[in-house]
Amino acid sequence: MLIKVSNVTKRYGDILALDGLSLEIKKGRIFGLLGVNGAGKSTLLSVLNGLTDIDEGSVEIFGLDLKKKIREIRNISSIVPQNLAFYEKLTVKENLEFFSNVQQASKENFAKAIEINDLSKLLNQEASTLSGGQKRRLNMAIGLLNDPKIIYFDEPTVGIDPKSRNDILDSIRSYKDLGITVVYTSHYMNEIEKICDDVAVIAKGKLIEQGTLKAILQSKSETLEKHFLALTSESQDV
Amino acid sequence: MFSALVKKEFILVLRDKQALMALFVMPAIFILIMSVAMRDIFSQESIHFNTAIVDLDQSSISRTLTKDIRKNKSFHLVDQNEAEFIIHIPKGYGDEQNSVKNPKIEIQVKGSAKSDVIELFKAKLLKEVVDLKLGIITERLSEFSDEAAAAVGSVKLSTDALFDLRYNEKKEVPNATQQSVPTWIVFGMFFIVIPMSTIYINERKQHTLARLNSMNVSAFSITLSKVVPYLFIAQIQVWVMIAVGMFIVPLFHTPALEINGSVAGLTFLSFALSVAAVGLSSLIAVTAKSTEQATTIGGISNILLGSIGGVMVPKFFMPESMQTLANISPMSWGLDGFLDIFLKGGDFSMILNESCMLLLFGVILLILSMILLRRRLNRGI
Repeated sequence: MLIKVSNVTKRYGDILALDGLSLEIKKGRIFGLLGVNGAGKSTLLSVLNGLTDIDEGSVEIFGLDLKKKIREIRNISSIVPQNLAFYEKLTVKENLEFFSNVQQASKENFAKAIEINDLSKLLNQEASTLSGGQKRRLNMAIGLLNDPKIIYFDEPTVGIDPKSRNDILDSIRSYKDLGITVVYTSHYMNEIEKICDDVAVIAKGKLIEQGTLKAILQSKSETLEKHFLALTSESQDV
Repeated sequence: MFSALVKKEFILVLRDKQALMALFVMPAIFILIMSVAMRDIFSQESIHFNTAIVDLDQSSISRTLTKDIRKNKSFHLVDQNEAEFIIHIPKGYGDEQNSVKNPKIEIQVKGSAKSDVIELFKAKLLKEVVDLKLGIITERLSEFSDEAAAAVGSVKLSTDALFDLRYNEKKEVPNATQQSVPTWIVFGMFFIVIPMSTIYINERKQHTLARLNSMNVSAFSITLSKVVPYLFIAQIQVWVMIAVGMFIVPLFHTPALEINGSVAGLTFLSFALSVAAVGLSSLIAVTAKSTEQATTIGGISNILLGSIGGVMVPKFFMPESMQTLANISPMSWGLDGFLDIFLKGGDFSMILNESCMLLLFGVILLILSMILLRRRLNRGI
């Protein structure tokens, strides 16, 4: 198991963001994390990347304890946040060079990030002038620079057109071919159905269901969206 | 890694045109305007009154008075339309000199003339009138008693003859340029808060800081990488403003800035002042929730520190209690240091106190902002 989350609880004041959550993520898979707004998806991603401390429980990644080996874990993982976390006033190339130098990444990874995300023609363009889809691709390319073994995507297709969304999903699928484990959160069921191997549904910080996409769809003989709505409404009722 | 962080910060600041305007153009324009505008207020030359005389009497006495006024360097005789003061000597002034009731001299004053200037003008004119009257009295007395006439004749109304002026300490009042350049260097430097907070808060809002944190970039590296470029920019700012004072201001018939003291001392003081400005800016940038909040807090704190510290009103114009209060402002420490160098020809030791206080102030605020940033990053913000 690549990632093992055991009984993790995280509170923000009175708000319980993660409530004794446990789940496991296998190596080399695309893992879809589903949940309504405020379910705890982004908090879980922050926890997995060591950006947020947990109050209770434990997390192991590659067999390393997250609390004790945070620096090592960060070196082999990467997060692509929902926000466009780069510098609008820098060009695409300057942004990639900056994040590459900060992580002392290799030139090969620099070139790979540009190629996979189809940014070669945009290198000298200021990031602020890019389209929504191009900005998303740059945001993703930065996540590839340190040659990660795991990438966490936090709703990477928010606010972009269908064509750009498909391009992004194709890029993410190609990450799997590079041997990268992908943890992917989204609101869009069709995206999850399209690219994910495994799925977990969380609501109110708790795990509702986890399994392979195939198994879930077969057992319920309905679309993922219907199944998700049924699960989350049950959770709301409780 | 660190050099990449510093380079990024440099590029972002240099591409921020508004920030460059605030850091370089604004203080340069202020130096120019204030040096020229305050040239006469800070001038150490004797005061001149642009004066015209209308002699309606045309008597020997009125002509003597006119001649005496003309001789006095305080009165600069000009045409009536250029005059601030017009002296009207009334008809019969000479005839009535010997009588009890003298017709009054009328002084016509420009509406904009300040009351203290009017009083000074009246005092200067009074001296000429009294001198004239003493001359007449002396002449009349000499008909009765040479001794009495000599006694009256010996009365001198010149202040130099009557008073011996001694200063408690060396007279050190800056000229307009010596006052303006350090003032706007200090004030301008604290405007580093604008670009610094804009970049900082954008990084925070866009989660770029969190992303850097996820790349094992520490709060220490982030803070330090922001300090280095701004310290460098602040040094350029200081020398650009000094160059404005030395080479541009004199083009407007205003005294040029002279560096009378130690250049090494000036460099060290500039460095210390920039540490203080960067420290305060960093703390505001870390604590503010939005760029609007940061620029408002930064602007208000700059104006407050400036008004307390002698930027708005020079310290030597302030009452003693306000001068004591001024000492709490780091802007005042910086100003005092610059005046020590520009005016008193100070050396390194003379600015050491002010510089150390500025360094301490800056370092404490930087450490504080680093701690706050670390706390924010640990909370995932």
